[in-house]
Amino acid sequence: MKKLFLTALILGATTLFAQVDKPVEMPYVDYPMVKGDHDEVAQQYCLICHSWGYILNQGKKSRPYWKGTVQKMVNEFKAPISKEDQQTITNYLVKHYGYETTSAH
Amino acid sequence: MKHLNRRHFLGAGLLLGASTLIGKELPAKPIAIPQEYVPPIIAFPEKKPMVAISDRPPLLKSAKGRELFTQPITPNDEFFVRWHLPDIPTFVDLSTFRLEVKGEVHTPLSLSVDDLKSKFEPTEITAVLQCGGNSRKYYKNVGPATHGVQWDHGAMGCAVWKGVRLKDLLEHAGVKESARWVGLNGLEKPAMEETPDFFREMAIAEALEDQILVAYSMNGEDLPYLNGFPLRLVIPGHFADSWVKMLTEITVLDRYQKSFFMDVAYTVPDNDCECVVSGSDFEYKRKPIASMKVKSVIGYPSSDTVIKKGSKVKVAGVAFDQGKGIKEVMISLDGGKSWSAAKLAAENGKYSFRMWTYEWDAKIKGDFSIMARAINRIGNIQPQVDEIGWNAGGYQYNAVDVVNVKIV
Repeated sequence: MKKLFLTALILGATTLFAQVDKPVEMPYVDYPMVKGDHDEVAQQYCLICHSWGYILNQGKKSRPYWKGTVQKMVNEFKAPISKEDQQTITNYLVKHYGYETTSAH
Repeated sequence: MKHLNRRHFLGAGLLLGASTLIGKELPAKPIAIPQEYVPPIIAFPEKKPMVAISDRPPLLKSAKGRELFTQPITPNDEFFVRWHLPDIPTFVDLSTFRLEVKGEVHTPLSLSVDDLKSKFEPTEITAVLQCGGNSRKYYKNVGPATHGVQWDHGAMGCAVWKGVRLKDLLEHAGVKESARWVGLNGLEKPAMEETPDFFREMAIAEALEDQILVAYSMNGEDLPYLNGFPLRLVIPGHFADSWVKMLTEITVLDRYQKSFFMDVAYTVPDNDCECVVSGSDFEYKRKPIASMKVKSVIGYPSSDTVIKKGSKVKVAGVAFDQGKGIKEVMISLDGGKSWSAAKLAAENGKYSFRMWTYEWDAKIKGDFSIMARAINRIGNIQPQVDEIGWNAGGYQYNAVDVVNVKIV
């Protein structure tokens, strides 16, 4: 037990790295968003919970995919987006980050 | 290494913006439009500059690419990061931070990090941490690109974790007869109250297994803030989703609680192959992902390595599985026609990266396809690229790894 305590002491002395005494500063990344087609609606709602990196790093997606994703944000994550704004966001995503097709992907 | 500064980054944005003009007005000179968005490389707290897939919540991977997997232990400052909710405290005061053990227990506990370090036996384990969606971009070789961020192999790493056995905490609190499940929650919070918490559950029998830790140390240091300081759960052999970061609540439950992050996210089809016809969306019965699948990843060379004719190439990489142990890693240099065994390094516990190397004499100029395929001790083998079963979430990708190189 004594040995254990000593180990703990040594550990305590050598593992202070993350125990900062002030808040860490997180960088802000300015992910590019295509302007126009009511990008302000996408900005207003999507960016409440996540960066635009989430969209950019999924690759181009179909209309059913983006429609389903916007619905998931409303149904599962409870994003307060009206039906009309859901449509606007889906159209914006399909136009600039997707393509028109009827299949899910 | 390419380093994108802010000016370059803005330039990339303009380029993306310009792509929308095509069709209306063609520019005089054709400009290269990237097929795939390339995220910027940015320094985050306690990290080397990382590829910033997202800053909020943070999703980061090492800027080294495959090269990260030529070593048995992944350094803390290059270890991948993946949070789920945007509101993460930027400061944890250890004088007030407490881990609660509560619910169906005889004596609820409220423990400081010092309590964990001084009142319980420390245990150490080397284990791979891999996101369920790691490597999902390669599913597009067998079907449509799946849902989610298109990770390459960057969402994994291997570290030495040190902490307290979850079992010891549960036994100290005294689990009641009624206990069936253990719920886990940490300090990351949603932006809106209505959004589901990042809540995870495991069966009580599993929670009482010896190898599961509440870790306070990673590779001999405090956990980096972005990897879950001050405490995170460690479930060797399991995908990362239940390795809850900034862990604050362990709640013993008498019944399973349905939750978004258990029952909807991080799920695969509930059938034997855990797969569906490629292209079908989520309209299938689901089950949460759990045990990892046998996998090998080539660390060197990568597709941009220039190999001179006559050089001796030390092909190298890592292999791991759910904890049964790697039996063999096979290498092919002719696109899968013939295979030979790689040399395995000594095993470093059942749950860690197993290093492997293969000496290759690059004798002939031309294009070569290097493949790696691991087999574990219970006969689980990586599927061929065209054999892997597809799922809409893009989880559990473990097909044979392929790197195409040119000998010049």
